[in-house]
Amino acid sequence: MFLLVVVVLALLGCAAPEKKEEVVKIGVIGPMETKYGLAMKRAAELAAKKINEEGGILGKTVKIVVADTKFDPDVATTEFRRLAQDEKVNIVIGGFSSGIALTMIEVMAETKTLWLGDASSPRLTAKVKEDYEHYKYFFRPIVANASTFPLDMIEMLDNYLNKEIGLNIKKVAIVRDAALWTDDVMQKFEPLLKERGFEIVMDVKVPKGTEDFSTILLEAQEKADVIVPILAHVRGDSLLKQWHDMKIKKLIAGHDLAAIDPDFWNATEGKCFGEIYTADGGAVATPINEKMIEFIDMYKKEFGKLPEAYSAYGVYDAVFLYKAAVEMASKAGESNPFDPDTLVKYLEKFNVNNPFEGVRGKIAFTSNHDLVWGDEFIRNYICQWQEGKQVILYPKNKATGQFVKPEWI
Amino acid sequence: MITEILILGTVIGGIWALVASGFSLMFGVARILNFAHGIFFVLGAYFTISLNSKLSSVLAQYSLPFSIFLSIFLVGIVGLIIYRLFLSPLKEHEIMVILVTLAIALLLEELLLMIFKDISISVPSVLHGTLSFFGIPITYTRILALFLAIALLVILELFTNKTRTGKSILATSQDKEAAMLIGIDVDRVYSMVAFISASFASLAGILYSQIYAVNPETALRVLIYAFAIVILGGLGNVRGSIVAAFIIGYLQVATSLSLGTRWSEVLAMIVIISILIIRPKGLFGVEV
Amino acid sequence: MKKNMKRYLFVAILFLILLVLPFCLPESIVYLLGLMFLFILYVVSWDIVAGYTGQINLGHTVFIGIGGYTTALLQNSWRFTNFMDFLAPLPPLPIWLTILLGGVNALITGLIVGIICLRLRGYYLALVTAVLPLICIQLVNIYSPVFGGYEGFSIGFGKSLAQRVIFRYYFSMTVCVVSLLALYFILKSKIGVKFKAIREDEELAESVGMNVVKYKLLAFCISAFFAGIAGAVAVHYRLTVGTDLFDIPLMLMIILSAIIGGLGSFHGVILGSVIIYLLKNWIIKNALGLMRLEFPDEIILYFLLIILILKAPRGIIAKLSELTRTEVSRVLFKKE
Repeated sequence: MFLLVVVVLALLGCAAPEKKEEVVKIGVIGPMETKYGLAMKRAAELAAKKINEEGGILGKTVKIVVADTKFDPDVATTEFRRLAQDEKVNIVIGGFSSGIALTMIEVMAETKTLWLGDASSPRLTAKVKEDYEHYKYFFRPIVANASTFPLDMIEMLDNYLNKEIGLNIKKVAIVRDAALWTDDVMQKFEPLLKERGFEIVMDVKVPKGTEDFSTILLEAQEKADVIVPILAHVRGDSLLKQWHDMKIKKLIAGHDLAAIDPDFWNATEGKCFGEIYTADGGAVATPINEKMIEFIDMYKKEFGKLPEAYSAYGVYDAVFLYKAAVEMASKAGESNPFDPDTLVKYLEKFNVNNPFEGVRGKIAFTSNHDLVWGDEFIRNYICQWQEGKQVILYPKNKATGQFVKPEWI
Repeated sequence: MITEILILGTVIGGIWALVASGFSLMFGVARILNFAHGIFFVLGAYFTISLNSKLSSVLAQYSLPFSIFLSIFLVGIVGLIIYRLFLSPLKEHEIMVILVTLAIALLLEELLLMIFKDISISVPSVLHGTLSFFGIPITYTRILALFLAIALLVILELFTNKTRTGKSILATSQDKEAAMLIGIDVDRVYSMVAFISASFASLAGILYSQIYAVNPETALRVLIYAFAIVILGGLGNVRGSIVAAFIIGYLQVATSLSLGTRWSEVLAMIVIISILIIRPKGLFGVEV
Repeated sequence: MKKNMKRYLFVAILFLILLVLPFCLPESIVYLLGLMFLFILYVVSWDIVAGYTGQINLGHTVFIGIGGYTTALLQNSWRFTNFMDFLAPLPPLPIWLTILLGGVNALITGLIVGIICLRLRGYYLALVTAVLPLICIQLVNIYSPVFGGYEGFSIGFGKSLAQRVIFRYYFSMTVCVVSLLALYFILKSKIGVKFKAIREDEELAESVGMNVVKYKLLAFCISAFFAGIAGAVAVHYRLTVGTDLFDIPLMLMIILSAIIGGLGSFHGVILGSVIIYLLKNWIIKNALGLMRLEFPDEIILYFLLIILILKAPRGIIAKLSELTRTEVSRVLFKKE
């Protein structure tokens, strides 16, 4: 009987793989049980649809293959491997969760797969620098390097809230994900805060799935002048609702990934009024250029709502970035414009002098494949929730409104 | 600090008492530790939200209270079905019960994740407004939760002691064979207990989600606390578990304030293990 | 005599097939099979305690996880800073050594767990051991800079068993075969007899002068050691370590495999592991893919476990009666 099992095994295994070559397969990987994953999937499918309508990439149809990381390193690496080896995708887009991404990057190196990543840890691009030959396939166009978040946040606290609005913030209470990426952020944030005269009076790490922030809020109210969340895995919904219900007398201003979702107002029953947050990678449903307007309209038409997470914008851009690189390679006469090693060179050509125009702004890569950060390129805008609307407060040249203080503060 | 611990701890203690009493009842009467109990907790909130969104156009402002009552009832039915289908045939084999209920819990959790993703669910509060109690802001929702919890526990107490059906439950828990001898339909009693247990848990979940929020992962966390409470109070002793619920509630808040929420979960688990090893009948336990 | 010859021949042919398989199967399947060998070890090692001595240990994954994390951390000793500083400046150690140390660490843990469980019987043993892996997961999360938290961490490209999957397969297979042989001979020896005596009737065994405590602990140590080794090898195989090594779904899969195969039955348990592992990681995935359903495959597995426990926990074992010992089902289903 055992032999039978083995024979069946062998037969199933030798079953013919599917015919490809006429299809360009793009793998999208992320935590599909979350809004972030859903947004990734939808944006990729939208991009594929648009590209296919216009003739595909070099005449070939684009097909999206989805993989779920489930926030588990074993599942994520197995899925990445499945995309690379079983599905034989031409490129992988996505990620989310730097810790998980760091495990996936090894599989990327082993299978030599192109990966346009969505995970902010500086360690990922540090690997590109340390061991170029193995890790050069990793690029990060979807979100900025976590080291840049402190740059935005310090401007939010110092330049904007203190100097421009006139608040007198000195003591900072930090509430952050118990995950790798916030450690990376803090590495740069802490010295920056000290430099500009701020004091960190509280630094709490909250595990994924936390819903009870009462004790944290009470403590922060007592000790600090402002509450700075650095959240992505943990959603800010409960934090904001309890903040509102308990009428905590201090502002919330920081990085709350969930707040970028246009649906956040409803999700918090409007209790997020007054929250100041950074919009990652310039992802906010505010028309900052033609392409953005077009993207938002298409998304709404196709799915009935505005993009539910920042990842939608980035993934959409990533697909088109890939297409552009392939077309450039083809035009330059490359024999196989889909070859990962070749494409690495062409993706690198999108640098400061020759950026790619995406929906969020200009995408340019640094020498170790990070996004160039800056007003003209991609940066995280400082926004605030007001009366059902997301208002950009900073930088000045992109601002769409003024700062409003919640009445109980 | 002490005031915070007392106030927050009391509210959460009340909710835990609702959860634990059902868990304890199930064991006390039917000798079943249902590890899917945490799922009933979150299902209450999920059913309410889904029903509310479907019915709000039809029932307007009555939609929410109606959804709440209906989902408590529905979750009770789910508990009943799970008992009849999966636990009743196995109840002699306690280790199998652990495995089956764990598998059911994980299966339902996966289903919830698949349908609702990992979005946190909050049932909208019925009351709005905040009261300031010794300098701590408490929402009316929390106060209501505490009152409801206490009210229901009192009702449970009265039910088991004063009504005929209630007394039959009591009798069965004390001596199953004797109960059968005097004509009590033991299986019906078990089914009733399964229903009550699950509905109490779902009410607790709804109250919890009004104050905080729930997501599919909350189920396991609640289970650990419920388990710790029931072991501490003495397996099978409902009154004991109510007292233990408040103890654990205060401990949980105190630990969260000083060390962080993860430590409070570790603490609960250490409570479970130490009691089981050192004094298996817990604080008030009658059975071993 | 002839029966034994047949058996050896069977095993030899099987061995040859396994040796040759990687050459006619796609790499992703070879990758899967390599991990399957380790899963078999997880289950067989569990069976030592559960099937042979009759102690239902629901916390077996603690040993697997400790084996895995030990080797992962020793290979990345910089992670020890601010936690166990004295370990941080360790020089790079060879992989076989850290894997072995993983097994040793697990063994020590097994001893401790065994001691804790000495006073407990059946139901209470199950409850206490069930909580242990959860504590480990929480500790991993609390000390996430060291252990990686729920995101886990990668041990590094250079630390894998081998660059090419096919060699990892052979390494894993070797570890599995060698371990299984060792376990087989241990169980066939006087030690195995003593284990079974504990399962049958502990008081009787004690009354005839057997040192029950020693053998119970020995069972835990052996069980833990091999589980730890398997866990450690798994980490070097897949290059990642994470809390899934401790988690309940893995434990349920182990139990499911053992139940299908029949507790206390050496070949049965191996067969059960193969079936369940392939079912979960391959067959169900393909089936779902063919039907274009986006379903987490775990759901089907849990369903299967539930139905199995319900429908005929005794029936399945009775069906495979030549491979099982029915006394064992009595232990598992003992009424307390």
